Amino acid sequence: MKENYFLAKWLANEITDLELKKQVSEKEFIAYKKIKSTTKNLKAPEFNSEGLLSAIKNNKPKQNIRNFRFNYFYKIAAAIVIIFSAFYFISTKNTVFTTKYAEKTSFELPDKSKVDLNAGSKIVYNKKGWDSNRNLNLKGEAFFSVKKGSKFTVNTKLGSVSVLGTKFNVIVRNNYFQVTCYRGLVSVNYKNNIVKVPAGTSFKVNNNQSGKTFAIKDALPSWIENFSTFTSMPYHYVIEELQRQYKIKIVYNSQFENTLFTGNFTHTNLKTALKSVTIPLNLTYKTIGGAKFSFVENKK
Amino acid sequence: MIEDEKNGFCEEKKFNVFFRNHSTLLFNYLFYKCGNTDLAKDLVQDSFFKFWQNCSKILPTKAKSYLFTIATNLFLNAYAKSNVILNYKNTIKKDFTNESPEFILEEKEFESKLQKAISNLTEPQRVAFLMHRIDGKKYKEIAELLGISVKAVEKRIHNALINLRKNIDEI
Repeated sequence: MKENYFLAKWLANEITDLELKKQVSEKEFIAYKKIKSTTKNLKAPEFNSEGLLSAIKNNKPKQNIRNFRFNYFYKIAAAIVIIFSAFYFISTKNTVFTTKYAEKTSFELPDKSKVDLNAGSKIVYNKKGWDSNRNLNLKGEAFFSVKKGSKFTVNTKLGSVSVLGTKFNVIVRNNYFQVTCYRGLVSVNYKNNIVKVPAGTSFKVNNNQSGKTFAIKDALPSWIENFSTFTSMPYHYVIEELQRQYKIKIVYNSQFENTLFTGNFTHTNLKTALKSVTIPLNLTYKTIGGAKFSFVENKK
Repeated sequence: MIEDEKNGFCEEKKFNVFFRNHSTLLFNYLFYKCGNTDLAKDLVQDSFFKFWQNCSKILPTKAKSYLFTIATNLFLNAYAKSNVILNYKNTIKKDFTNESPEFILEEKEFESKLQKAISNLTEPQRVAFLMHRIDGKKYKEIAELLGISVKAVEKRIHNALINLRKNIDEI
């Protein structure tokens, strides 16, 4: 049988007094009636909801919560961003070595491969994953003594040089690109042509002409021994190298720009060096203030 | 009504409206449970505090019963912690006049008897009964707030009335 909570129904005015009377005694009915009427007048204690609302807002809860929640969230977010960006920055930050004019440097790469950097040059590489991917960018001139290991690549704007372990020199100056191998074998990627450069040979390209491979005699690039050696090099290139090595400015007649020059100059004595590059072309040098020099033709 | 709004209660305006609409009922509910205004007040504050913390997760249609669930749980925690049976304090304000002194006396006597009887009810019966009598909540609403069926509310109220009558007779 379905439960019949007639008292509840009566209290909610769902059934009438008469209906209730049928279910309970007269005495009970009077009692219930009295309970009903009296409880109508019951009141709960005073409750100051506005006061509590402001308490909630001012005290611990609301505003604080909001700040807390947002601050907390932003703090964590900021921390994560900082950690990740720092990690990213550190891990992907390129290591840069540069040399100014009249400055040479040598350093070791993470795998102990040695790099000699000639004046006015720049090497950029990334320490991250160096062991598996030895890759660096070169501007200028550098001599590499590469430890055996994974493929070692020197990227330049004129071509890339790949080796497995050897000693080689790379020059990238303006439109001049030269790779000289002193030990082992290097492969040069020049305009998508792979050129193998074995030990004791040099590969050079000037002004987008086709590359030339030729034999060399030296065991080391001369600049390592503080000389710059040129074989049939345009004179402007020689002057540029001289300017780099001594941090000087040279003014000369542009008619000599592309005159081929064979010879060398020292990096340790400016006067000797100036003579070395002027005498073969029947020129003399004059100081024109500071670190400026002018090359003039000898009077006949 | 706040229930009609779609978003959560994280917006201060919405929260305020919700608070104003339901804080008194919640307070009364807690008061019926524990008979202690201070505890009820604290529990209201804590309940809304918790409600606010979870404001983003609350569905508008469930907000009210969620609030009462929070309050009930907090009450149980507080009750378990204190383990003190609190006295039921009920303030009855009456507004009838023009009665004979005997009648007033009788009424007063009856009121105090009723008051005692109410405090002697079981907690679920008292809560359901007073929510109906004082807050004027329909059984359906009470059922929703307490998370029980309407039949269960009716049973509580039915039994509350029986217990009240018996109790008053005995006193």
